[in-house]
Amino acid sequence: MVVISHLRKRCIGCNYCVEFAPERWRMSKKDGKVTMIGGDEKKGIFTVRVTEDEYDNNAKAAHACPMNIIQIKVL
Amino acid sequence: MNKKIELMAPAGGFEALQAALDNGADSVYFGVDQLNMRARATMNFTLGDLEEISKRCSERGVKTYLTLNTIVYDHDLSIVKTVVNRVKETGITAIIASDQAVIGYARSQNVEVHISTQVNITNIETVRFYSLFADVMVLSRELSLRQIKSICEGVEKDNICGPNGKQVEIEVFGHGALCMAVSGKCYLSLHTQNSSANRGACNQNCRKQYKVIDLEDGHELEIDNEYIMSPKDLCTINFLDELINSGISVLKIEGRGRAPEYVATVIKCYREAIDAVQDNSYSEEKVAEWMARLGTVYNRGFWGGYYLGQELGEWTNKSGSSATQKKVYIGKGEHYFPKPKIGQFKLESHSLKIGDKILVTGPTTGAVETEITSLMTDDKQVEEAFKGQEITFPIDYTIRSSDKLYKLVEA
Repeated sequence: MVVISHLRKRCIGCNYCVEFAPERWRMSKKDGKVTMIGGDEKKGIFTVRVTEDEYDNNAKAAHACPMNIIQIKVL
Repeated sequence: MNKKIELMAPAGGFEALQAALDNGADSVYFGVDQLNMRARATMNFTLGDLEEISKRCSERGVKTYLTLNTIVYDHDLSIVKTVVNRVKETGITAIIASDQAVIGYARSQNVEVHISTQVNITNIETVRFYSLFADVMVLSRELSLRQIKSICEGVEKDNICGPNGKQVEIEVFGHGALCMAVSGKCYLSLHTQNSSANRGACNQNCRKQYKVIDLEDGHELEIDNEYIMSPKDLCTINFLDELINSGISVLKIEGRGRAPEYVATVIKCYREAIDAVQDNSYSEEKVAEWMARLGTVYNRGFWGGYYLGQELGEWTNKSGSSATQKKVYIGKGEHYFPKPKIGQFKLESHSLKIGDKILVTGPTTGAVETEITSLMTDDKQVEEAFKGQEITFPIDYTIRSSDKLYKLVEA
């Protein structure tokens, strides 16, 4: 099991996470920030539990994020 | 010299904004947390701050410019509209833009547009083109004084007017960091850290040491200075008379990522210098004094940029700042007694003694520098106070609990 977390309010909408993991991230045309599909919000941090097949793409997304607001952990 | 020159200050937060207002800026520019070239900065204004910024500045007759000057993707178009609409609602004077989508939407809403340095205007025909949309345009930093003068003369001769019906105003950078690449058009941090400067996420990796190695034979090229991509900072105060006489209208100071005391010192020096040029009291002695004061705050060494016609950049020879003064955090504000003008602080680290130079910063206070002339702890006069003590001393500025107290020491 993999947990991805995202501090959405600091997103600058660069789109890199969408490029690496389009199945998990989608740009919001409403506010220009990325939305994590399936994420649950608690105190501004969105988290989702996914299967390990999503690890590689989302690890690339986390690495690419210039704001360092995506974290990925293997449980 | 009768033409009024507008001094434009950077504001990365309320502290710097107040410092700009208190030290003589005619206008300020700032970004909100997306779509500005300092998007990575820890402190950025939000859309909710625009009302307060507009209020504070309009009370002082200071113009306000919001930067909306990154590259813009399709998914940004909605937020562009939101920001421009908010600019209009809150009475912000203008937006600084580079992308045509931003310029087009702002004009459709009758919001004043200024053209950002990212557009890199280097000739009179480009000025004429953008005059269809913008009232003020910043010129590329790569122009010489002679070229700037020629463009300013062209605007006057051809009476090139912006949407407001007045002749377009020409703006130039007067002081602050210079990029080794075309400003805001750099892939360096994108290539190495996926962090696009063009979206305001520059990692400044040009500021590091580099070597050039011939991969065929492994020889390192002889480089005296390994900071081969890190230019010194632009400083024009020593030829400001020439810069102003080239016909510019707006002098812009770089530094939205800088501390409030940087804004205070640089804006005060340039305010004095512009006034001196305009009342004919500009002199070598004054320049020497301004240069010394500018050197106290963050800098990588100074050079005159490309204005004086140098063909190559001047590179810095060390990392970080060459500032001659540094600040040490020592405590926080607690209370102010307005009648006797006494400030109360809690000393949280280090000591403080009579004669020390101090800096107080805060969102409403801005950045004020003064000297300790007398000091009290526990209702007793003392020469020196130490960590943990509550202290009071005379200070002409109102102190607030959000203020931070620093001691200024030689770097």
